[in-house]
Amino acid sequence: MSEGVMAVVKPEMKSYIWLQTADGSIQQVEEEVAMFCPMICREILQTGMGSSKNYAISLPQRVNPAILGLILDYCRFHQVPGRSNKERKTFDEKFIRMDTKRLCELTSAADSLQLKPLVDLTSRALARIIEGKTPEEIRETFHLPDDLTEEEKLEPLRNITDDPRIRLLNRLYARKRKELKEREKLKNVEVEEERVDERSVEDLLTFINGGGEDSKGVRANKNKKKNRRRKDHPKDSSSNSVYGNHNKELDVLSSSCHDGEVNNMASPSKNSKLQDSTSVTFSPKLEFDDGDIDDDIDPAMKEELDREVEDFARRLNSDWPERMQEILSLGQERRLVPISMNGNGSTHRYTSMSCIVWIGDNNLMVNDSFVRMSSSSFEWIARDASMRFAAEEAVEELAMSFGAR
Amino acid sequence: MLKMANSFPEEVLEHVFSFIQSDKDRNSISMVCKSWYEIERWCRRRIFVGNCYAVSPRMVIRRFPEVRSIELKGKPHFADFKLVPEGWGGYVYPWIVAMAVAYPWLEEIRLKRMVVTDESLELIAKSFKNFKVLVLSSCEGFSTDGLAAIAANCRNLRELDLWESEVDDLSGHWLSHFPDTYTSLVSLNISCLGSEVSFSALERLVGRCPNLRSLRLNPAVPLERLANLLRQAPQLVELGTGTCLAELKPDVFSNLAGAFSGCKELKSLSGFWEVVPAYLPAVYSICPGLTSLNLSYASIQSPDLIKLVSQCQNLQRLWVLDYIEDVGLDALAASCKDLRELRVFPSDPFGLEPNVALTEQGLVSVSEGCPKLHSVLYFCRQMSNAALLTIARNQPNFTCFRLCIIEPRTPDYLTLQPLDVGFGAIVEHCKDLQRLSVSGLLTDRVFEYIGTYGKKLEMLSLAFAGDGDLGLHHVLSGCENLRKLEIRDCPFGDKALLDNAAKLETMRSLWMSSCSVSYGACKLLGQKMPRLNVEVIDERGPPDSRPESCPVEKLYIYRSIAGPRIDMPGFVWMMDEDSALRLS
Repeated sequence: MSEGVMAVVKPEMKSYIWLQTADGSIQQVEEEVAMFCPMICREILQTGMGSSKNYAISLPQRVNPAILGLILDYCRFHQVPGRSNKERKTFDEKFIRMDTKRLCELTSAADSLQLKPLVDLTSRALARIIEGKTPEEIRETFHLPDDLTEEEKLEPLRNITDDPRIRLLNRLYARKRKELKEREKLKNVEVEEERVDERSVEDLLTFINGGGEDSKGVRANKNKKKNRRRKDHPKDSSSNSVYGNHNKELDVLSSSCHDGEVNNMASPSKNSKLQDSTSVTFSPKLEFDDGDIDDDIDPAMKEELDREVEDFARRLNSDWPERMQEILSLGQERRLVPISMNGNGSTHRYTSMSCIVWIGDNNLMVNDSFVRMSSSSFEWIARDASMRFAAEEAVEELAMSFGAR
Repeated sequence: MLKMANSFPEEVLEHVFSFIQSDKDRNSISMVCKSWYEIERWCRRRIFVGNCYAVSPRMVIRRFPEVRSIELKGKPHFADFKLVPEGWGGYVYPWIVAMAVAYPWLEEIRLKRMVVTDESLELIAKSFKNFKVLVLSSCEGFSTDGLAAIAANCRNLRELDLWESEVDDLSGHWLSHFPDTYTSLVSLNISCLGSEVSFSALERLVGRCPNLRSLRLNPAVPLERLANLLRQAPQLVELGTGTCLAELKPDVFSNLAGAFSGCKELKSLSGFWEVVPAYLPAVYSICPGLTSLNLSYASIQSPDLIKLVSQCQNLQRLWVLDYIEDVGLDALAASCKDLRELRVFPSDPFGLEPNVALTEQGLVSVSEGCPKLHSVLYFCRQMSNAALLTIARNQPNFTCFRLCIIEPRTPDYLTLQPLDVGFGAIVEHCKDLQRLSVSGLLTDRVFEYIGTYGKKLEMLSLAFAGDGDLGLHHVLSGCENLRKLEIRDCPFGDKALLDNAAKLETMRSLWMSSCSVSYGACKLLGQKMPRLNVEVIDERGPPDSRPESCPVEKLYIYRSIAGPRIDMPGFVWMMDEDSALRLS
């Protein structure tokens, strides 16, 4: 056919390489341009493919025809040896100007072809797009799922503080701990009475104490005179503070507090995001210092508890999805999301990192998350040891509440 | 939606993230969606923890398994003014222990206002094979023995910086622990050390480290030695001189001048303890290249300062004592058009009468003459609203404005009015103001201005200001970006604090000392806000030995996900649910 004839007649004697994209379409490109791509180059040299239409080199799936065109334009320019750095830079700057979606496709495609200079170029461009943006803006730009739950997003602290469920939770937990402590005391004195517990058996608090119990720091108490004259504020020993008028205010506060709802906690200013831009953005989680709850449990009970913990943890790990179904089917008003159990963050993507709190028989409360997607959620959900701890505590409660074990 | 995530492989996204290094951006990335959170956390190499008690080492390690560089801050800023009692905390040892196991490839540790022991330093020296950077800024608790361990073991050390730290200086011998094969030093700052180091060891060290860029000597290094060192390291970019005390000897002078002229790269100069003015001309040759000059230890008087400063046309940063006086600041404004940062420290802060002719006028001149000035720390004895208004109008670009009128509650010296309007003008005009310290006679009005206009304000320092709770309320409810608030001797009590309790969780920390916050309020706050650590610091004894309405001495509140700390000394009480249960 004419093409073949033309090929023979053409004076230039250019060599062409045939490339096939995932959609099946085939195109040819000058050899030196194609060879600029390491992946194509290797194919040609190792397998001998690409020399004709029937033996076109199959390109990775991430390379579609339009993107291939772009990549080949890049290669065509840069494979010419004589160009100056300035020329190349100018070309690159112009080349990069495209919409974000295309830029992403290009980055991905360049990576699959192992074309490192282009990967770097496009990656840097993407980085510049990302820099300075808020998470919301980034999501919009790249059409990413908004799968961090409501409270995990930009203003988690504000939401968390204002969330009445969480406040209720805090109070309930504080009360419970107080009860537990009192019960510990009573245990040694008298036969444990059957505590009338109105909560359901399934009472479960799945927080984990992640507080730092690292070794105490060695204290240095050297009394050195600091030479800080230039930073010193002059000390004014005269006390100018006004101490009066507190009692009245405080009485008002404490009485409203006893009612359970401190209503005078005004909501903070509207746009108070997590401001600590330069610090680690850990969302605070509800920390419960459980350190001393395990004390004073007699060994037999401890053994029992240990076994229960194992069971419990296993149950949680395996049954949870089913249990969720169970609960959902009970038809009560609740929002539930499963806890993800597995540890290694990198390969597991769960649809939610929420925590479930059950308080009361039918009053199922869900806190979608106390914390943002932060270390806290991983650590208190993910690790076995931590899970054990929470489970341990929950089991202990169960034990307490049923009095018998 | 998920399409994008699927087609964009993790490694590629990680590669994109590698070009994004600022903490703020990395934090934003981690909040975009779950997959980005995951990817980001595995490739985060640098961590900044603004308050070491906000999070536990274990949490950091668990979230970021591949960290190579960490920066930690310990004590609150007011520790610099001796307001934080000795032994309060800020121990780095638990962090080092945890990181020794988890981050064997850790390269950089930067600490500020932390207690560092020799044990910690030894552990660092032993645990991190590729350790490169150790910066101990305003730290304490260690001796030169610890430094010796670092010197002896850290083969790849690049930077050792003891900026303003308190070191138990047993001897200068530690420097000799750098082995002869060690050549990778890039930056050394020993300016806070008292005793003499072995000069020959120092010279040999400097001589064999071709990449040395920054050398800040201590006062024990005399002038005569400086020339030799400079000749060994003409590539220096930053130099801190030793002591200059010596009567003028012509040969020493010419030697020094010659050595300086050989340092073509020198951009930053500091030190100048006890400097004899006659030696100053030795540095004239490099003045035009200087961008940073720190004369805050130098008792050079105004005429010599003027001569020096007028040669530094490219100066961007100047730290100087108030000996510079108004006339010197006029000269500065005339010669240094590129000035970005100015700090003027008091030479005699405790004196009752002014000892120098430095007034508000100097600051006005500089704000007029230096269009790029954006950061100021200024100690003076008099100020007026008019001057502040002028300054605000001249220079709306301030990002940091710290004015310290030495005598508390000093009014406008012209009108005897409070300085509310003046500072109000500053916050109103300087829309990008991030850091502000106020002083002088101030009523609640100034806080109304601050709350209204200080929308970008991140750090605020107050002393001897305000009339009552309303002032604090304005600040807490108005300043949306507030991260650090430190207050001393202001009549703020319970109401504003409790009303704005939720705000405290959006901030890094709040310090209040000698104010009117009652013990009862502290307890309440601690109970209600489990994500805040409410520390009552009181050296008078247990707070419950006094009535609940009794104000606490000092209060330090900071958000934390690590829970109450366990290393508190006897004079610190943590207000939390347990304490409420315990104490009630």
